[in-house]
Amino acid sequence: MSTVAWITARGLFGRRRALLLLPLPLLLVGLAALCRANNIAPSDWGTPVIVGLGLAVVLPVVSLIVGTGVLGSEVDDGTIVHILTKPLPRRDIILAKLGVAVGVSALTAAVPLFVAGWLADSVRLGLGLAVAAAVGALAYSALFLLLSLLTRRPVLLGLVYILVWEGLLGRFVSGTRVLSIEQYVITIADKIAPTAILEPKVSVPVAVVMAAIFVVGCAVFAIDRLRSFSMAGETS
Amino acid sequence: MSEASVIHDIGYQRYSGPRLGRSAVFGAIYIHGLRAAYGLGRSAKSKIFPWLVVGIVTLVAVILAAVRAQTGLLPLNYIQFADAMSWLIIFFVAIVAPELVSRDMRAGVLPLYFSRPLRAADYIGAKVAAMVTAVCGLLAVPQFVMFLGAAFTTKTGMRGVWHELGDLLPAWAYSLLWALLFTGIGLLIASLTGKRAFAAGGIVAVFLMTTPIVGVISILHSATAQKLAGLASPMSLISGVGQWLIPDASTGIFVGEFGPVYLIEALTLIAACMLLLLARYRKVASL
Repeated sequence: MSTVAWITARGLFGRRRALLLLPLPLLLVGLAALCRANNIAPSDWGTPVIVGLGLAVVLPVVSLIVGTGVLGSEVDDGTIVHILTKPLPRRDIILAKLGVAVGVSALTAAVPLFVAGWLADSVRLGLGLAVAAAVGALAYSALFLLLSLLTRRPVLLGLVYILVWEGLLGRFVSGTRVLSIEQYVITIADKIAPTAILEPKVSVPVAVVMAAIFVVGCAVFAIDRLRSFSMAGETS
Repeated sequence: MSEASVIHDIGYQRYSGPRLGRSAVFGAIYIHGLRAAYGLGRSAKSKIFPWLVVGIVTLVAVILAAVRAQTGLLPLNYIQFADAMSWLIIFFVAIVAPELVSRDMRAGVLPLYFSRPLRAADYIGAKVAAMVTAVCGLLAVPQFVMFLGAAFTTKTGMRGVWHELGDLLPAWAYSLLWALLFTGIGLLIASLTGKRAFAAGGIVAVFLMTTPIVGVISILHSATAQKLAGLASPMSLISGVGQWLIPDASTGIFVGEFGPVYLIEALTLIAACMLLLLARYRKVASL
């Protein structure tokens, strides 16, 4: 299992690819520092930077790139066969890959969010955002890992989820918020550190239970899909 | 080649038809790119995403035209329509750009292309032209639908139609500007990687991460910074150009006296993307 995790991490970070994950977090910290240096009230810049950029863009996009990269790129290359033919339970393969994806995206999103929350309000808000981002990374990674097994175009489908479901529908149609990971993250962060910056729209029990359902459900379904996985050449 | 130079004739027939030059290759890549953008000639699966976007954009245009015909109100004018569809256009660019350039790198066919009488500039020119046509069509056709709706229900006869046409033509130019800028940025990012998934993610990340910068700069205390805030993101840059050239467009971007700056930056950005694409293809085999 550790070998699978090692291979996955090498696939993500090999050569210069890790550098691609840097600009988004740097931008988040840079904008927070710029606002702080210009003496703008945190109530003005907190929502656009932390929610608009951090929770709506950095966390889902990083999780999308990493989450579909851990398994999807191996499916694309065809090298997944090498892992599948080893006498390893499919559960271990999925859990190892999910672990790497969660670790990388949680670290990439939580650190800048901690800094931004700290600059905006207090260390407590920073910690709340970091914990919520870690939970969000877990749920997003499980979802996108599952997508990379269900379809040949996981990134596009993931983008539809982020842009259309969370971005457009989440804003106008209140019912879709119950199935939006972004709203769980906001709720959990607000529960740990209540501020005016975050406006939770779902209740805490709903957020925690639905996040857990997302993680467990997607992981179990992904294991099940990998049990009966069939390779296909590059078509369409 | 003269017959004398054949060492051993193994009986292959020679091609004696007309030899088509660069322009024919250009045309072939253009047509192929345009068809690939909408998934024509490909499997049903690769038609889902482009036609999903086309369907939504057209549906919105039809609804807008119907609302206007029934109530006489104008919820969105042609230019606001293009702005309102910006997220869908980003998504469309993220679908089409990797389809056009990343596939060729992935399949390793670039050496085959460039062994023909085809230059890097032709290849890029054809791809850019195909994608500009695709993106522009995505906006211009629904705008035309809105125009038809307005033209057939106008109360003032021919004069109303002329007036409407005067609104439509600048909006088409505006859509062309959208298409040029988004094509340049999208193709440049997609040409950096052979993996379509990474290319799509990268394009969306670049467009999404620039939007909050505008939001932050526009709340700075300096009035000049507020007027220049739109320069930070391609979407608000285009809106700013539209606002300056067509003052009654009401795009919501306040440019003040800096309108020319917006236009210059838009043109520079388009030119820079094309030059960087050329530089990228100076030396490329596969990735």
